[in-house]
Amino acid sequence: MTAGLAAVTVNLLGTVEHPELGDSPYRVDADGVPYVPVGDGGIVLGLDLGDSVFAVHADHAAPGACLVHQAEAARHALTLYSCIGNAAQVRTGAAAGASGAVIGKRGENGRVIVGFRAGDLTRLRPGDQVSVRTRGQGFRPGWLPPAVTVMNIDPDLLAVLPVGPGHVAVRLELPARLAGSGLGRPAASWDLDLQLGPGDGADLRLGDLVAISDIDARYNMGYRRDWVSVGIVVHGASPLPGHGPGITPILTGPRGELTVRPDPDGHAGLTAALLKLQ
Amino acid sequence: MKAATNAARLVSQVLTGEVWPALADRHGYRVGPDGQPFVLPGMGGVTLGVHCGDPATGYAADHLEPGASIRHADPAANMAVQFLSCVGNQVRVDSGPAAGAVGHVIGQHAYVLADFAEPVAASLTTGDAVTITATGQGLRLSDHHQIVVKNCSPGLIEAMPGGTRPDGRLEVHVAARVPAEAIGAGVGMISEYANTDLMGAYEGLGDDLSLGLESLRVGDIVALADQDHRYGRGYRPGYLTIGVISTGQCLLFGHGPGPSTLLSGPAGAFHLVDDADANLASWYHGGAGWHHHGAGWSRQDNSAADHGADR
Repeated sequence: MTAGLAAVTVNLLGTVEHPELGDSPYRVDADGVPYVPVGDGGIVLGLDLGDSVFAVHADHAAPGACLVHQAEAARHALTLYSCIGNAAQVRTGAAAGASGAVIGKRGENGRVIVGFRAGDLTRLRPGDQVSVRTRGQGFRPGWLPPAVTVMNIDPDLLAVLPVGPGHVAVRLELPARLAGSGLGRPAASWDLDLQLGPGDGADLRLGDLVAISDIDARYNMGYRRDWVSVGIVVHGASPLPGHGPGITPILTGPRGELTVRPDPDGHAGLTAALLKLQ
Repeated sequence: MKAATNAARLVSQVLTGEVWPALADRHGYRVGPDGQPFVLPGMGGVTLGVHCGDPATGYAADHLEPGASIRHADPAANMAVQFLSCVGNQVRVDSGPAAGAVGHVIGQHAYVLADFAEPVAASLTTGDAVTITATGQGLRLSDHHQIVVKNCSPGLIEAMPGGTRPDGRLEVHVAARVPAEAIGAGVGMISEYANTDLMGAYEGLGDDLSLGLESLRVGDIVALADQDHRYGRGYRPGYLTIGVISTGQCLLFGHGPGPSTLLSGPAGAFHLVDDADANLASWYHGGAGWHHHGAGWSRQDNSAADHGADR
């Protein structure tokens, strides 16, 4: 993590995930009502960066295709090394040759979420192979204050996000008590769910930068007073208790060194235009 | 007045398991709050010297599991063991030199955790067979419809002080109150499996990590503010969850001493009484001989609470 060392690029292959369910179709929501989870992994159509996390009735739905790998260790590596903004290219199937970009990651067994142009996404099929040009872990821009850690972000994308010396623009800053699933897990590969539902008075959009107070995400994610972590919203809401819209962390540091500026109405975070997917 | 329950209509199921080993990978190290790598014992096997009533923190340990850590070798049978075992259920040793000795479930942590008297624990090891008489899931409080009961043997409800108050609320005695900010790993999981780690109890580390939870004891009954564990574990303002501290010291960041869920419902349905004696040791695992080696332990070393409905 030394400033000035060159980031290394590693091409890794992922496979477009097929959704998986258990013997029962039901999960149980926070009110005890069973529901059938839709949109939790695989290819999700009809959802874009910029849409509200509450726009669709789904469970952890992400705007694009999730990549996995059949070998557990390779799947973890794909997830750890992939960074938001990394270029991806479809290698097999009807969409072969199409280009996309990493828009986030999810934890547990590990998933990389890749965004595509709508026409390419509809031609994708679970099992298609996608190569990711992974780059970013270990990268550290020279302007970053010494106590601030950056992770999970492509260097070229960081340069065009509303992030720089003395300012990080975010949609909202939320309190630590809203941190949910993902606490205690490594920020390099897991997302952090925010315990926000559609009735809680705060709206978030897929791709937003969001800050969360008193969370240290340098290694595992956990409570540390007077810290702040910033992540990108990579998937939508969930009816499950303890779950909700998820952020992939990109910055974490002491509040004195990482200044966030909430802009609930005018914020623009990660967009298809920044990823050159328009 | 003791809270009325449907205990008379519950069944018991006989489950088996074995003391399960500690698990590690070839890289060994895990990472603490400040990035410190560590190799520390605590999970799996039989952890000696820590019992209900003892401090939960202050050990060179990670995810300290007091007593025996139990699983079933078959994956589906293991889930039955994990989901159906309830705090207070009797655990009997069926093989090895401690065969015949009896302890009790104190919680779940992806292992079922069973506390035994120290001389029994000292003679247990990985692979020893146990039988758990599981009863408690499905337990209801007849006069407290808003409160959901989880992982709780009828004998434990019977033994806990408090009960139905004249104003209709459920009185529960708690040894500690936990703020919502302390809830760590385990949030978002189902309430019948593992437990909720509490952050802010890293004894000896920075003040910026502390939420004042360094004095928790194993077996403490605690109240978790703004937590709804009725159908999983999540944040919900105005709700309250009662748990029992079943695991102790952690160094892994975002983790810590963990309560297994017992009761959950709207905060207004509860009346909390702060009571330092609100600990499983007061009802199950107290008395001379439990904490120390030496003569005096019996193979049927049951305390008063064991004579309730869980037998």
